[in-house]
Amino acid sequence: MFSQKVAQQSLRRLAVQQPLAMRSSMMGASPVAVALGKNIQTRQVTSTPNTEDPSQILVKQRLNRPVAPHLTIYKPQIGWIGSSLHRITGVALSGTLYIWATAYLASPALGWHLESASMVAAMGALPLAAKVLLKTTLALPFTYHAMNGIRHLMWDLGRGLTNPVIIKTGWTVVGLSIASAVGLALI
Amino acid sequence: MASFARSSLLRQTLAPRAPFLQKNVGVSQVVAFHASAKKQILPPLPQSVQGTMNDPAPIPETHPSEGSYHWSFERLVCVGLVPLSFAPFAAGSLNPVMDAILCSLLVAHSHIGFQAAIVDYFPPSRVPKFRATCNWLLRAFTLTTAVGLYEFETNDVGVTEALRRIWTA
Repeated sequence: MFSQKVAQQSLRRLAVQQPLAMRSSMMGASPVAVALGKNIQTRQVTSTPNTEDPSQILVKQRLNRPVAPHLTIYKPQIGWIGSSLHRITGVALSGTLYIWATAYLASPALGWHLESASMVAAMGALPLAAKVLLKTTLALPFTYHAMNGIRHLMWDLGRGLTNPVIIKTGWTVVGLSIASAVGLALI
Repeated sequence: MASFARSSLLRQTLAPRAPFLQKNVGVSQVVAFHASAKKQILPPLPQSVQGTMNDPAPIPETHPSEGSYHWSFERLVCVGLVPLSFAPFAAGSLNPVMDAILCSLLVAHSHIGFQAAIVDYFPPSRVPKFRATCNWLLRAFTLTTAVGLYEFETNDVGVTEALRRIWTA
């Protein structure tokens, strides 16, 4: 038992200090291996032919690039929400204009009545609550887009481009546009 | 030499370091680093390379009519619209020249605005056909809108007067 431990220790020491000596002394090929010609370790050097289109490597790599996250991960702030509303209201207003004007152009062919007299009559026939609601729905996008547009023009002049001012003017525009829209609806 | 020495010692000393051990360490480090779940909300679209893979991404040629002139024109229309949206209602409407200017500016402003939205949301590298369709649709609608407004101005009471009458109906 003791002699085994001594052998183990000296072997360990040898292995740490002179690993090459260990290899030659302990892994020497057996006579059978030498006779069979298997004493030499060989490694197959093969190169697989690259049949892949090299330009596709970059295409595949690009698929692993990080993708910009969607809007829901951002904290709602007056800056970007207000900016989105500016575009949404603009598209809604211009879309209304485009649809109405095109429909007016096509109305003789379609038999619709979009001339001012019939629109006034239709509006006058509505109950008061519906009138106020419809007018608010039309006025609010307009007042917001108009006032925020003035804010944009100020930015184009290089004014009010600090974060506190942007927050302040953003909320000011929200308040003023709601107030003026309600005021316009009650005319 | 005794087999007991060969089996355990040699494997530890001579064999290359066990790969699974290294891999394990790596995995645990990565797990600890990425504490939040991976959220890929929008998967990447199919990619393509223009030219060869060593070419830089092509930069479209710049032109003042798509840059500085466009910007200035856009702003001039906006600035013009500011008084024109309030003046007719404040001063009383039924001024055909003011109405015509307002309608022209509105059509120009709307066209530029829609164009900006198309440019922003439908990049030609991603949806070239849809973008072209949108652009042609916009041109057609701008034309019908302009003609429709002209018809309304010439055959009816005009935009501002009509809006005033509807509003006070």
